[in-house]
Amino acid sequence: MSDEIKVDKTLDVRGEICPNPDVRTLTTLEKMEKGQVLEVLVDYPLSVERIPKNAENRKHKVLKVEKVDGPEHRILIEAKANK
Amino acid sequence: MDPLIFTAIPVGLVFGFALSRGRFCMNSAFRDIIVLKDYALLKAVGLAILVSMIGFAIMDRTGVISVSPVTFWWGANMLGGFIFGIGMVLAGGCASGITYRTGEGMVSAMVAVVGLTFFGLMTSTGVFSPFINYLRSATTITLADGANLTLANVFGIPYYILALAIAGVALILWAIFARRGEKESESVSLGEKIFRRGWGWTSTGIVIGLIGILAFYTSTLTGRSYPLAITGGYLSTAKTLIMGQNLMTWLPIMVMSTIVGAFLAAIISGEFKFRSPGPKTLIQCFFGGCLMGFGAVCSGGCNITHILSGVPQLALSSMLGGAFIILGCWATAWFMFLRPMRGL
Repeated sequence: MSDEIKVDKTLDVRGEICPNPDVRTLTTLEKMEKGQVLEVLVDYPLSVERIPKNAENRKHKVLKVEKVDGPEHRILIEAKANK
Repeated sequence: MDPLIFTAIPVGLVFGFALSRGRFCMNSAFRDIIVLKDYALLKAVGLAILVSMIGFAIMDRTGVISVSPVTFWWGANMLGGFIFGIGMVLAGGCASGITYRTGEGMVSAMVAVVGLTFFGLMTSTGVFSPFINYLRSATTITLADGANLTLANVFGIPYYILALAIAGVALILWAIFARRGEKESESVSLGEKIFRRGWGWTSTGIVIGLIGILAFYTSTLTGRSYPLAITGGYLSTAKTLIMGQNLMTWLPIMVMSTIVGAFLAAIISGEFKFRSPGPKTLIQCFFGGCLMGFGAVCSGGCNITHILSGVPQLALSSMLGGAFIILGCWATAWFMFLRPMRGL
């Protein structure tokens, strides 16, 4: 996977149950510095839909939502970009 | 065998399909009022209840079905509901949530289903049943003629009038106060929207509500006068497998078809995959499922029986049971998620 975005931290929540992917993504973003990029690996469909929405609502910036394989997605979020 | 029980197959298939596409789970719906402040699924639940309410009212009035509320055993409704609510947060899904995710290949949900079935049987026919029977009989309230309580018969208003009035007023208020602005701007084909993507809350709510109506009608044809339910279906299936007597009536066939419907939805959308969390979470899911099994049988229903099927019938038992499911959910979500998330 070649993309130009530099990832500062990776959160692998594949297989996790509702709402751990959402909660852990948001708490991790909150602990990161402004401008750092979090990579989230997630395969729970509801979280794939809601993480981008809820991250934006909390002033983070979603850079990319990418389908990897089957339900698996890779979401890149810039922490506190809009704060 | 009554061939009409096979009407449960299409109902279950469509139900499972809609649950999966709509990610319809009341655990998320209620929990996220306080945890994520995300109300999309809550709106889907509300809309499904109102759509079913209108359908039930018309069918009851025309004699196609007759409303059959769960008995008002207030102690059992409350205790069972609260424990069910705790269980569904631990299990990561309500009765419908763990059912559709079983079809999508989530091992955590399968483990919860096993726990629910196991403790459901222990509660309905096993070690807990004397306690449940005592609690029920000690807290039963019915009308003088023995009828189960509904908001309609308590106030002496015909059910269909009250149901239509409530649904009508609620929908009008909703339309007036609902904020506009959630737009689906992407232009994709209808097939893509139905089969490949997650549905919005409006479509989900309407479709699930309509399935409730269809379920009540077809189920009544086989002599089972109740709409959608989940837990009882698992219990009958397990008894059939364990004891060898054929108990596969409309409900268990519907529940098994629901899993298949969700499986098909996940295959078509490319979302099917066997996946599992670590052993610690799996144990938590199993334990959560056990609490759900106990709670559902104690309360006289899981969240589907009470909230999706009982509330539209204006059953007092279901309103009370449903309220305690929500309270149990909130209490547990506060401990598990809200305290650690504080300051977010």
